[in-house]
Amino acid sequence: MLVSPHGGRLTDRQCEGKKAEEIIRQVEKGILLTLNAREKNDLEMIGNGAMSPLEGFMCRDDYMSVIDLMHLSSGPVWSLPVVFSGKPDDPEVSKGDHVGLRDEDGLIWGDMEIEDVFNADLVAEAENTLGTADDSHPGAAYLNSLSGTYIGGKVRSIRRRESESFQNYRLDPKETRVLFRARGWNTVVAFQTRNPIHRAHEYIQKCAMEIVDGLLLHPLVGETQSGDIPADVRMHCYEEILKDYYPSTRVAMSVFPAAMRYAGPREAVFHAILRKNYGCSHFIVGRDHAGVGNFYGTYDAQKIFDRFDQDQLGIVPLKFEHAFFCEKCGGMATLKTCAHGSEHHVFLSGKKVRAMLIEGKMPPPEFTRPEIAQILMEAAGNGEDN
Amino acid sequence: MKGLIIWIRTEAGSKESILDELGSEIEDRGGKVEVFHSETIANLGMEENERAKAAACAMLANHGVIVIASGSKSPGITAGKNFEIREIGESDLCRTNAHDTFMRNLELAGLVPPPKYDVHPDEEEDILKKLKDLGYLDDDSAPGT
Repeated sequence: MLVSPHGGRLTDRQCEGKKAEEIIRQVEKGILLTLNAREKNDLEMIGNGAMSPLEGFMCRDDYMSVIDLMHLSSGPVWSLPVVFSGKPDDPEVSKGDHVGLRDEDGLIWGDMEIEDVFNADLVAEAENTLGTADDSHPGAAYLNSLSGTYIGGKVRSIRRRESESFQNYRLDPKETRVLFRARGWNTVVAFQTRNPIHRAHEYIQKCAMEIVDGLLLHPLVGETQSGDIPADVRMHCYEEILKDYYPSTRVAMSVFPAAMRYAGPREAVFHAILRKNYGCSHFIVGRDHAGVGNFYGTYDAQKIFDRFDQDQLGIVPLKFEHAFFCEKCGGMATLKTCAHGSEHHVFLSGKKVRAMLIEGKMPPPEFTRPEIAQILMEAAGNGEDN
Repeated sequence: MKGLIIWIRTEAGSKESILDELGSEIEDRGGKVEVFHSETIANLGMEENERAKAAACAMLANHGVIVIASGSKSPGITAGKNFEIREIGESDLCRTNAHDTFMRNLELAGLVPPPKYDVHPDEEEDILKKLKDLGYLDDDSAPGT
């Protein structure tokens, strides 16, 4: 039996077909508010149930409770605000208004029944959820760019399949749940990534696969910062490695359409809860999960899980240390399993790998499988085809 | 799961069937339920009064039972370490929206089990077809296989 969704049931605030057309007719002549890129991602994930039990953008009670206590006001654990910010050029709204939600190009993506318009405490939000309000943190810079007014209320999300990237990999939580059951999986480990797959990732995924029925590879394809490897390149790497190195009956890959917040520890909890909604019983938490720069300690994103009882979370974090190839062991290992000194470990920093790829140098196979290195070199403009 | 007392504030002329209906709903979800009818206290050999009823409910709830009881006023006891108390008016319980909100809040607080299915059975067939079309499942795959 699969793990229950967070808060007991999957919410469904997603509309398609005639229902979606009806919503558009209702709101297109009325008040329209503008979604930024993050809010658009959030709307989609509230709609498809990935953010269960949320049914809309947070009102003040939930917002304050999440910032201060990491719980929704109704009880369940929730680590990050999911909010809609008022935009300077949008019309003023108040409680009781029914509004449309459009993107910056004017396309309508949903509606909202406004239940609350409130002043955000952006400094407290940044300090509590990100650990800093400093503009050099991308999440804090985002918050510092907001108006300071949040608008909360239940939403309905209009699904526009024609505009979705990675259409063949878009599975909603109810779809992954049906998939897992059809495959006979009761326990599923999710792997979240915004980076291309290297041997270290492969190693910890396969360690996790030893104790569960299936692996959900769930690369994040929502908004990320400009320095991250583009999602299409990362997906290509995964497609390639899945061909020859993973048992197809025990792995599924689907995209995770969330926006990165770079909130480190709190985002690790957030990512875990959302994967629980997709039907996953376990979640891999590696080094500096969802971190950026030097804002978080290497294992802060693992330690935060110790603050919650297992029955509150409902998903098991699998905490992994940094993995490497040990020449003495003759295989992948971590400091938990390897007896040899670092001089025997093949380790390259991300910066070093990027430099090698740009120079057209192939990283060693103990670090990156050659098939993956080839794709990354091509993406960096140094492949055989370029 | 913590114990729970659901205390329904009754009105003149009310019927106890509402207690049984709520009890069945929670039992169908897998909850461990005890419904306190008006004669329950008498059957226990105790003098029937609301104070005795509330105390008996608390004893059960303290051991993880979801107790459904009713009275014309609040039970006059406070939640314990191992159980919570939630009150609702009989007329609210009969209104669909208020009933659903009440139950949903109990679910969110982890006090009653959620509905047994996470995906409505009517949707499963369409989803299976999509999964096959996308190559996630072979044609002979079926739920539970």
